[in-house]
Amino acid sequence: MPELALIEARNLVKRYGDKMAVDNVSLEVHGGEVFGFLGPNGAGKTTTIKMIVGLLQPTSGTVKVAGYDVQTQPLLAKASSGYVPDTPNLYAKLTGRELLRFVGDLYNLDRKQAAQRADELLRMFDLTAAADDTVDSYSHGMQQKASLASALMHDPKVLVLDEPTVGLDPKSARLIKDILRQMAERGAAVFLSTHILEIAERMCDRIGIINKGKLVAVGTMNELRSLAKVGEVSLEDIFLGLTGGAEEAEIAEILK
Amino acid sequence: MSTIAPSPSYPFLPAVWKLIRLRLQISLNGFKHTRTIRKILTIVAVIGLLAFAGMILFLSWLLLNFLRSPQLTQYVGMDVTPFLQAMPVLIFTALFLGILLSSFGVLLQALYLSGDMDFLLSSPVPIRAVFVTKLLQAVLPNFGLIALFGLPVLYGLGLAGHYNILYYPLVLLTMIALALAAAGLSALLVMLVARVFPARRAAEILGFIGAILAFTCSQAGNLYNSFGHSTNVSGAQVSNMFTLLMRFNTPWLPLNWAGQGLVAMGEGRWLTGILMVLLTLGLSAVAFMFSLATAERWYYSGWAGMQVVARKKKPLRTVRPTTTGEASRLGQISRGIPLLGMARLLPAPVRGILWKDFLLLRRDLRNLSQLISPLIFGVVYSVMLFHTGGQLPAGQGQAPDWLMNSFRTLLSYGNIGMSLFVGWWLLGRLSGMAFSSEGKNYWMLKAAPVRAGHLLMAKFLVAYLPTLALGLLFLIGISILQKIPIAGFLYSLIAVAMSLAGMNGILLAFGTAGANFKWEDPRKMSAGSLGCLGQFLTMLSLPLVFGLFIGPLWLVSAFNWPQVYGYLAGVILGVGVTGTCTFLPPWLVRGKVEHLDEA
Repeated sequence: MPELALIEARNLVKRYGDKMAVDNVSLEVHGGEVFGFLGPNGAGKTTTIKMIVGLLQPTSGTVKVAGYDVQTQPLLAKASSGYVPDTPNLYAKLTGRELLRFVGDLYNLDRKQAAQRADELLRMFDLTAAADDTVDSYSHGMQQKASLASALMHDPKVLVLDEPTVGLDPKSARLIKDILRQMAERGAAVFLSTHILEIAERMCDRIGIINKGKLVAVGTMNELRSLAKVGEVSLEDIFLGLTGGAEEAEIAEILK
Repeated sequence: MSTIAPSPSYPFLPAVWKLIRLRLQISLNGFKHTRTIRKILTIVAVIGLLAFAGMILFLSWLLLNFLRSPQLTQYVGMDVTPFLQAMPVLIFTALFLGILLSSFGVLLQALYLSGDMDFLLSSPVPIRAVFVTKLLQAVLPNFGLIALFGLPVLYGLGLAGHYNILYYPLVLLTMIALALAAAGLSALLVMLVARVFPARRAAEILGFIGAILAFTCSQAGNLYNSFGHSTNVSGAQVSNMFTLLMRFNTPWLPLNWAGQGLVAMGEGRWLTGILMVLLTLGLSAVAFMFSLATAERWYYSGWAGMQVVARKKKPLRTVRPTTTGEASRLGQISRGIPLLGMARLLPAPVRGILWKDFLLLRRDLRNLSQLISPLIFGVVYSVMLFHTGGQLPAGQGQAPDWLMNSFRTLLSYGNIGMSLFVGWWLLGRLSGMAFSSEGKNYWMLKAAPVRAGHLLMAKFLVAYLPTLALGLLFLIGISILQKIPIAGFLYSLIAVAMSLAGMNGILLAFGTAGANFKWEDPRKMSAGSLGCLGQFLTMLSLPLVFGLFIGPLWLVSAFNWPQVYGYLAGVILGVGVTGTCTFLPPWLVRGKVEHLDEA
């Protein structure tokens, strides 16, 4: 296990009025690691992610990205991270190439390098033919890929992805999985939330499960199995056991 | 589960009622969950509208009684009763044509571009029901507006003419029937257009043309008046107008049957009345049913076709060279153009945001129409200014010389006033909505390592540069035509540049503090935002800013002091205050920028 923690959340709390969206979450993600973040709908996954990338201010607690505090050193922390949201809201009237150029400017990249990097990414994501079309003509999958390309423009040390494979065809989903694995092999920390437990089980070195705002389990698959005190069971069983979804699974079984 | 549920039937009217009830529920929920102040304002607005309708009814009754007076007949030289009888015809024609034309854009949006279409069309709801609900939803506001003015006038006419009691419910029924027929025909046009053009592009182009046309028409009246056409109406002109209107009231136009029939029924001419009203209602029903039947075939196929058009793979283009060409070409261009060269001095994120915003402003026609309006306004009023030759009205010649001199000084700086007003208008959109216009894309800026100061600087420049360019264009044009001396021109230049910067600072601060990122329709971008308040305050500050620069000149002119003192005092006062407004308000909200869109 690499030692450097590239994402470090300590006692993270986010409250909306009386509602506790994230309740005292602490976790670490190291360089070279793919960390899967699971949880039922409304468990606090996206809120946690938004606090990690600096889109939301925590009510209390701290987040460090690449060693920089997201609240006190936001520019350094943001310069080290790339973010792919669950919905790819991109500037509809920019072309794919223009979008990447704009992102290059935001991250202060050299113009020539940014142009080359944009071309590489467009080619990698099979968007070269649509590079000069405006984003509003892209399908959901193409927008998702453009969003990922934007996040990779500055070759971040930390990549945070919220449901990155939603709406992607199998080929694109595979491509993204390969890219994430390659990034981890090059020493980056990859933090991804997903509902597809198979992806989490196959891809992630460690998994965190959040339920009702609380982090109920963190560890490798083996650690989670021992935590759940079960034998050779799937992540689905562990997930349902920890998040109280076992009863619903039984009902679903009866309805079959 | 081995039993198969019986397939349910989905009758038309209950389905329409379900969809309407859903819409009402959404509106009610919106009202329930809004802030108390908004609830109060909504209730006050509704009461105000009812009071307004009552006032129109009362005024119509008074006016129509007056129109029947013998004095008027004597003044006009003709009996105006035929004109009064033609009034319902005019109102129903206006209603029909108004709804037919104004519904086009709304229906395009409601039938093809609303967010719930996927949900509705994938539900087991008859397509006719969806169509009718969307139609009603789109037409009701326009119908309400026309009815607000038309209904009290028609009822006023009935009261003044002591019409039969049947006249009143039939007026309402006929209005509804004609509105539905017009909306149905408008929907047919929409469905036809949507089969040929992508609906989204059609809506953008329509919005652009509509906005420009409406604005141009509204200003054309002012221009017409400025060319000396008198607004005083003579008796002969009134008589001609009445004749023209009565000529319009011919029995062979189906649109006239409704009005003529209602008047006939009101006056007790039953046979004619019933025949014409029944004909109108029947034709309206046929038009509406025809649109309904056609919608069954066209609507779904058009909507489905739109999905294909939107996702159609565009033909492969030749891939642009991937060399460093683009950057170096830009470099060459920017070296050739001094202003672009100067842009290279800006931090990269600021430059990037500037470039991105200018691209989006140019490409989105909805933005462009808002930006062109100030230009049209400026041109119209500049023409008016030149037409009067910048001369003061002579009056009776009793005003003292010092007063006339002072007014002459003020008028000679009308170029500043015009440039500032046009600039203020443009800034209201560009600066007041600087952050709100990012909408759901704001996360891209927020997740990037961009300083709050750089974001504010970028948004300031995005608003300021085109406004300054437009303001200077007007200033130079008017100054040349008014033959303003060079010293005066340079002074005006400083005044305009600094005043626009000051207003921009205030508007940007208000726009930042009240930024609204949760909109789907760009027209609702400013909903509830403080940007509007900023625009109001800067409008109030316009005379103050104008006064700071021009006041000292007026004083030195009034007291016959050397003009250089006026310039000096104006620069110190004006630049001091506008400079403070440029930097202080954005500085005050810089902390807010870091936490925007977190609510």
